[in-house]
Amino acid sequence: MTDWMADLPLWWGKVVAVVCFFGMAIWAWRRPRSFIFEGAPDNHRWRDLRVWASVLMGIQIVIYLAF
Amino acid sequence: MRIGGIDLFIVVAYLVAIPVFGVYFRKYVKTEEDYFLAGRMLPWWVISMSIIGTNIGAYDYMGAAGGAYRFGIAQANYEWIGAVPAMILSAMLFVPYYWKAGVYTVPEFLGRRYNVAVRVIEALLWGSFLACVLGVFFWAAGLMLNEYLGIPIWVSLIMTAVIVGVYTITGGLAAVAMTDVVQLLVMFIGGVALSVLGLWTVGGWSGLVESISTAHPNHFKLFLPLDDPTIPWLGMILGLAFVLSPAWWCCHQAIIQRTLGARSEWDAKAGMLFAAFPKMFIPVLVVLPGLLALSLNPNLVGPEMDRAFPWLIRNLLPAGLAGLVFAAFMAALISSVDSTLNSAATVWTKDIYQRFFVKNASDQHYLKVGRILTLVFILWAIAFAPVTKQFPGIYVAMQSLLSIFQGPTFAITLLGIGWARATQWGGLFGLLAGVAVSSTLYFAAGWSFLYVAWWSFVGALVVNMVVSLLTKPEPTSKLEGLVYGLVMKDDEMQSILSHRAERGE
Repeated sequence: MTDWMADLPLWWGKVVAVVCFFGMAIWAWRRPRSFIFEGAPDNHRWRDLRVWASVLMGIQIVIYLAF
Repeated sequence: MRIGGIDLFIVVAYLVAIPVFGVYFRKYVKTEEDYFLAGRMLPWWVISMSIIGTNIGAYDYMGAAGGAYRFGIAQANYEWIGAVPAMILSAMLFVPYYWKAGVYTVPEFLGRRYNVAVRVIEALLWGSFLACVLGVFFWAAGLMLNEYLGIPIWVSLIMTAVIVGVYTITGGLAAVAMTDVVQLLVMFIGGVALSVLGLWTVGGWSGLVESISTAHPNHFKLFLPLDDPTIPWLGMILGLAFVLSPAWWCCHQAIIQRTLGARSEWDAKAGMLFAAFPKMFIPVLVVLPGLLALSLNPNLVGPEMDRAFPWLIRNLLPAGLAGLVFAAFMAALISSVDSTLNSAATVWTKDIYQRFFVKNASDQHYLKVGRILTLVFILWAIAFAPVTKQFPGIYVAMQSLLSIFQGPTFAITLLGIGWARATQWGGLFGLLAGVAVSSTLYFAAGWSFLYVAWWSFVGALVVNMVVSLLTKPEPTSKLEGLVYGLVMKDDEMQSILSHRAERGE
């Protein structure tokens, strides 16, 4: 299946990866606040799972740009 | 090399302490829910550490270090792009639906969403896969104990069985999860010690790069060219990041089961999401040692590359540290074996035995059956372990087995949660078509498992959608609580879902 894609340069992989990471972070922020805190004992900022997801994706972007 | 003295003491102390600690939790096991789901009382931090303990097995130390020796840091894709985004997807889309539905297993959820045939096929697939995986884990333990303690492989298999079996059979998921927490700490301490000492020996990161990059220019690139026969970048993205990874983190029974035991929906989501933080550091434990071994000894060839990790322990570590790293390896092994055992017993008890043989027995009856099945799987794993030596690379063998049905399973689960129009027949035929595609491509055409996963996913997705559109839509009453947009937040709906779960619908 790779024959028709054989000429794709290696840096396309990085571009696709970084776009996916950004997309995932944006998708996380589009989840409603009520959904994020559903079942949580309080609404402290540190419990906001969208922040966790953004930090994770930020680290991934740095790694994939570096290597 | 045989370890002795202080190293032997550390290893023996660890191997005795873990089952003693695990058995303590038997007092909390009164019902089948206690046994299979830890009484739905697990906090998020235990879930996250148990997830990583379950995920990182002996094959990671052996196989991933060997992979890093062969391919370089591209092997780390399995821990980064091949895990972290999928864990976010799992935490924010799949886990809340599973948890709200009150199910014990992923096949149970699919059975409720589609039909009993889908549930049985999935249960048989997962039950068989988990049993095979146990064999791989046990064999890895046998190799390691054989090499370092000088124990014959069959004896070491039995030793592993006793250590794990004692607390898994008695304490269930609570014992498994709590011992996983301890074992993850041991894994990190031992793994970091090995990596730090190794880096110091080769002259730091720059020394490592310098010693390897001349002979292996691609070893510090995360993506390898398309003509790479094993892990080309396109296969990494299509097969691993888009299919195998989400399938693992969203549908793997042993992984998901920890979130099903969460004390709240937030704990379930947070447990999965927080697990991604330690997951990002796993390459330090399993990939870096492979590179260090290559730097110190570039002469390993063929199957010897899978022994890069043991070689490093043998030739690098001083007395005391070797025992600690060996304990870390055993921790990785045991934390995966206990989780897999518990999950295999859960699937066979809930999805097969309770569904088809004895439907309305007491809690105590299913608790007893779960414990007996755990023992049966231990005996099976001992017998099956030697078969795994016929595969050339332990890690590749694992991924190959997974790729046969991971893609189709993820496709029907994704559509099941994300598309209300997906019908029971779409799910069934999508699953069958996907498995047929993957089997054909893998066994007949000999494709790379990464591309097999992608095309089996696409096949299952397309067939599910086409068949669904050609068949009668499912009634909304069946879909409530199981499909995106049809989950209710109010207590009444949660109550309905709980009653459905209790009735086994």
